[in-house]
Amino acid sequence: MITFDRVTKRYGSTEAVRELSLEVPSGEIVMFVGPSGCGKTTSLKMISRLIEPTSGTIHIDDTDTASVDINELRRSIGYVIQQVGLFPHYTVAENVATVPRLAGWDKPRIAARVDELLDLVGLPAADYARRLPAELSGGERQRVGVARALGVNPNILLMDEPFGAIDPIARERLQNELLRLQQVVRKTIVFVTHDIDEAIRLGDRVALFSRGGTLEQYATPAQLLARPASSFVADFLGEGRMVRRLSLIKVRDIELAGLDGERSPAERVDADVTLRDALDAVLRARDGRVLVVEGGTTLGVVDADTIRRASQ
Amino acid sequence: MSTLRYIVDNWDTLRPQVLDHLKIVGICVLVAAAAGLLLGIVAARSDRFAAFILALTSIILTVPSFALFGLLSIWVGLGDPPVIVGLILYALLPIVRNTREGIVAVDAAVAEAARGMGMTSLQVLARVELPLAVPVILAGLRQATVMVVAIATVGAAVGANDLGQPIFAALTRDTGTLEQVLAGVLPVALIGIVADVVLAAAQRGLSKGRVAVAAT
Repeated sequence: MITFDRVTKRYGSTEAVRELSLEVPSGEIVMFVGPSGCGKTTSLKMISRLIEPTSGTIHIDDTDTASVDINELRRSIGYVIQQVGLFPHYTVAENVATVPRLAGWDKPRIAARVDELLDLVGLPAADYARRLPAELSGGERQRVGVARALGVNPNILLMDEPFGAIDPIARERLQNELLRLQQVVRKTIVFVTHDIDEAIRLGDRVALFSRGGTLEQYATPAQLLARPASSFVADFLGEGRMVRRLSLIKVRDIELAGLDGERSPAERVDADVTLRDALDAVLRARDGRVLVVEGGTTLGVVDADTIRRASQ
Repeated sequence: MSTLRYIVDNWDTLRPQVLDHLKIVGICVLVAAAAGLLLGIVAARSDRFAAFILALTSIILTVPSFALFGLLSIWVGLGDPPVIVGLILYALLPIVRNTREGIVAVDAAVAEAARGMGMTSLQVLARVELPLAVPVILAGLRQATVMVVAIATVGAAVGANDLGQPIFAALTRDTGTLEQVLAGVLPVALIGIVADVVLAAAQRGLSKGRVAVAAT
């Protein structure tokens, strides 16, 4: 868990981050999102003390980060940036080995770890280990960046707009991969983005900042979309909030209607589909009613009314 | 051909001059490389120091070598010493400038990633910045070496027994011949070309995957 306690960063008389207090729970992805100049990157960098706060404290679990050796702190935190920053004179394997080497691991252990990590990010060591970064595509480079950040298996991963410079198709694939990876590694991830869709898609929670480093709202994506705390948040979320929110909720999690002796609907969906897919089925169904099933059993009926009620 | 003949006939005199020339160049390049690297690293860290040291080394380079050697001989005596000291001073500018530029040119994201992963500033310098700056630094070293090889000939004027001797001897006496001048010039050119080719090859060999190589 990462705890910000009234953290402020000032440059001269301008405030980059103002009295930030929030908790990043262990094993969750928390997205820092907002327009440029909102202090999201500054907040991220203060976690590994690449930027030192002007006032306030940041704790990792129960340890004040200001009390730890700065390089030890950074080695215990994975760091991924937009420009990737791979070392161009190192091979892929040497890049991934960077932090284990700094930590003084022995050679066989490093070699095994490098192979494991390259496998994890979908770049088989046999094909990739000896290549130079210049010989990789943008997406491949970013995956090496992620593997490098996971070098000594840190609990925390800081990602600063990691997919910002990647084309939309490759970006979506990398986003999916990150979610898949997170199922395996369960890191505490702080992820900075200016893309609200990315924030909603990846985040267990979203921290939305406005200019001057003010935290406007800190909530789950579903809460954010349902109840924006301010007009700034609503504006930033953009059009179609309620429809977009449907993608975040599963049919199994809402209150369904009973059959009530009526005829069983012809259309049916699995309990694991999202409300968005359920609504699609409702619109397709002749009578606007869709049966929700799980395996062989019927859980209930979903219609426009149940979806509307669930989304409020 | 007559020049070659002259060189062979006078090899007993020329041999120590070639060796002395090589000795002067070798010492100068080694000392200037060490000092220039150090000054260049500091200059990469501090813009104010960079402005100061680059201005100073540029000014030194504008002092005519003849005058510089003469001036230095007042303090360090005649012969090789004033030439060695003077050439070290000349060689500093290209080495300091290229070392600084090579380091500064390293992608900020790469240095930031290195810091973010917990490298100490010394580790960032030794493992990332200097290796990436090597081609640019070598370009500076190459420039300095070729320059030093040529200017060392002027050292003969303050008594260095190098390849400037046959040239000066020919130019200051009525009996001087073209062969005599060329007997100094040719070996100097040969040393310069060999040094340039070797350093250029090293520069290319070490450039793989690194930052853009400076033009010269």
